Amino acid sequence: MASMTTTPTKPTSFSLSVGRGLAYLVLIVGAVVALTPFLYTVSVSLMNLTEATGGEFLPSTPHWENYARAWNDARFSLFFMNSVKLVIITLVGELAFCILAAYAFARMEFPGKTFLFSLLLATLMLPEAVTWVPNFITVSWLGRISPIPWINNWPALTIPFMAHAFGIFLLRQFFQQIPNELWDSAQIDGAGHLRYLMRIIVPLSKAPIMTLALFGFIGSWNALAWPILVTTTPEWRPISYGLLAFLDESGSQFHLQMAGSVITILPILVVYFFTQRTFLEGIASSGLKG
Amino acid sequence: MDSTLVRNNANQATTGSGARIGSYWLSGRRGRRVREALLAYVFLFPAFLIISIFGLFPLLFAAYESTLRGLNRIVGPYDGLGNYVRAIDNLTYVLAFWVAAACLFLAVRSVMTGSQTAREKGETFWSWSWPGVFIGLGIGVAVAYIFRLLPLMLDIPSQLRGAQNTGVRFRQLMFEAWLDGGVQQAFWGSLVLLVVGIALYLIIERAAGHTHHANYMGPFIAATVLLLVAASLGWLTWTEIQKAYAEALEAGEGLEIWSQIVTISAGFFLLLIAWWLWDGADEQLSDYAMVARLGAAAVLLVGGWVLIGELPRIIAQGDKEWWVGLQATVWYSVGTVPTQLAISLLLAALLFQDLRGKGFFRIVYFIPYVAPFVGTAAIFRILFSNRPNAPINSFIGAFGGSSLQWLNEPTGLFQLLLGNSVTLPTWAAGPSLALVVIMIYGVWTYIGFNTVVFMAGLGSIPRTVYEAAAIDGAGRWAQFRHVTLPLLSPTIYFLTLYSVIGTFKAFNHIFVLRTAAALGSTDTASVVIFQAFKRDTRFGYASALAILLLLIILILTYVNNRIASKRVFYG
Repeated sequence: MASMTTTPTKPTSFSLSVGRGLAYLVLIVGAVVALTPFLYTVSVSLMNLTEATGGEFLPSTPHWENYARAWNDARFSLFFMNSVKLVIITLVGELAFCILAAYAFARMEFPGKTFLFSLLLATLMLPEAVTWVPNFITVSWLGRISPIPWINNWPALTIPFMAHAFGIFLLRQFFQQIPNELWDSAQIDGAGHLRYLMRIIVPLSKAPIMTLALFGFIGSWNALAWPILVTTTPEWRPISYGLLAFLDESGSQFHLQMAGSVITILPILVVYFFTQRTFLEGIASSGLKG
Repeated sequence: MDSTLVRNNANQATTGSGARIGSYWLSGRRGRRVREALLAYVFLFPAFLIISIFGLFPLLFAAYESTLRGLNRIVGPYDGLGNYVRAIDNLTYVLAFWVAAACLFLAVRSVMTGSQTAREKGETFWSWSWPGVFIGLGIGVAVAYIFRLLPLMLDIPSQLRGAQNTGVRFRQLMFEAWLDGGVQQAFWGSLVLLVVGIALYLIIERAAGHTHHANYMGPFIAATVLLLVAASLGWLTWTEIQKAYAEALEAGEGLEIWSQIVTISAGFFLLLIAWWLWDGADEQLSDYAMVARLGAAAVLLVGGWVLIGELPRIIAQGDKEWWVGLQATVWYSVGTVPTQLAISLLLAALLFQDLRGKGFFRIVYFIPYVAPFVGTAAIFRILFSNRPNAPINSFIGAFGGSSLQWLNEPTGLFQLLLGNSVTLPTWAAGPSLALVVIMIYGVWTYIGFNTVVFMAGLGSIPRTVYEAAAIDGAGRWAQFRHVTLPLLSPTIYFLTLYSVIGTFKAFNHIFVLRTAAALGSTDTASVVIFQAFKRDTRFGYASALAILLLLIILILTYVNNRIASKRVFYG
């Protein structure tokens, strides 16, 4: 299992007993199925109301103003910015806490290491549904006793997601592969653990850290169940919830709904396209070892 | 970890400095270890604080909350197993009984395996039982402490409401809660037990000397905790059954809990025996295997018959919404996991050839997985709308089909295929058409992820194996069947487990795609839990359902592991 790296190997004689053309056919059908919904969305988002409800496939003239309308009607200037803020707050905490914990597990010796690590892995089994009621109660309790409220505010939406077993596990796997000699020479230069972590390990681990950041970004952007539970006012409502509310309010204004969908999807896709190589490799290796 | 240079320094530092205790702990080799451990705890602290509060504690909290009753009340009156009985009726007692039995079994097994390894290595084992049992008991009492403190703490915000100086008042109330008799008892009890356990541990470690003996405290701690769980669960079940009988007697009704426990347990037991016989048949000679298989089939029939006779009656008594939810979850899982794994294995195998543009395809297949699902689910809502001119319906119309209700269709798939001539029973009608659309969405979303992981798995298979197979005259299909599949089995196993668990946890897209017209036929277990919590504000009941879901996931993981240990080939 240890040799399961993801370096693409050059296939030589191996290929399945499918003709090359047939293979391309299947792959292209797959790509079409994966992409058509998105293309259709963009198309509908540019239609007018009659075209959108009339089942047309292409708009006669592109109505770009749909985007502005959807942005205003769905109050995206609020929800979009909320999500951006929530993503940033979550990511800062997530990266800091997961990196520190992963480093402790990968590079330090302390009593109870195995026990704490297995405790950590046990949390992976817990379905989100089990945590809803307890965490809701905890969060409202913390809000009552702390200077700022948690419900309808950023702490409830970010703090519970700032550390998780998956992130610690992903980074630990990578930190362990960094050769020990670096630590030895860093020690001779008088560096302690913290400086070694910040100056050597983190710069060397850009790829897994970026993977984790992307996962955190997507997770935070997508969060739905928890925001529904802990926000009763739109003040801190994230974009997913905002879009869902808009879908339910806007009836059959499909063109506006699709424009809203595009606005929601686009930031993720842009980030994904710029980081896809690191991201896909990260998933492949973490997935195998998970 | 340490370099030799550092170690030498450390050794020099320790010599002759044993007298002063401060320098003993903080300098030298030992001091370095202590400081490193302390720094490690500092590094772990923020992450573990968050994970403990929001990832580990919820399990205890949900277990506690699930024994309370009441609408929109965090601390309702104690209700024992009442919430579970409302959900799955008398099956609760069967389940609680068997969970207790399983804990007992695991406790024994943990000690047995520990003693076996110790015997093989020739190390002392049983002396570790002292610290292990004490620490295990300490943990148990600590849980009791949490359970006693929790309701008092949860009550504080309501007492604070309207108070003037909240900060001072809060500290005062916290202190009062902590001074409560039961809380104090549990706290000091747990502390004493833990201290005694740790002291015993240090004594035994000293006695073992500096020879590096393995530490066998783990199995004993686990066994003690498991025994405590088994005992309390057994006691809870017993008292609850007694209570139910007493109530039934008062109402002048008959109860058949015990007979139900016996028949249902017997049914499941027979199914297990059947599985065991069938599994064992592989290793036997053909004649015996035949007999074993026949026996297995017979036992399976009897066990199945017993269960079919008993279970539906109980299900009819339980929460219908929950049973429908479980059914939907199972349909969703059965419908999506094999489909998405098969398609993505095909795509991965094709992509793994020396094809032009394979990077492009990989990126494209992954887009549905990363795209925010509220956005993509909104697309599916319009694609699979019930309007006759919606894309999918007009596509069907182009082939002369009539338009369907899709996401608004609560009727089962098999029923739709059969038409109105026959009426199937609800359990046989299959997933509703609305759920089928959700399945299509699920497959569409997760294919990319599975493909990427499969490709990584394919990349890890050494080329030489294929070359050897080719030399032996294996064709491409034979290579795929006898080389790729076995060597890929760890990946297949991982993805199966991950996807099955994923389908049992699935919430978000199902919640976005559900419609009122589908009459709850798309509500999987998670959605039912969410509704019980958010819509009905039944905190305790939702917790009980969530615990049941967790149990199902644990059982699935266990079964999956059992199968994997036999079928997966870790080359």
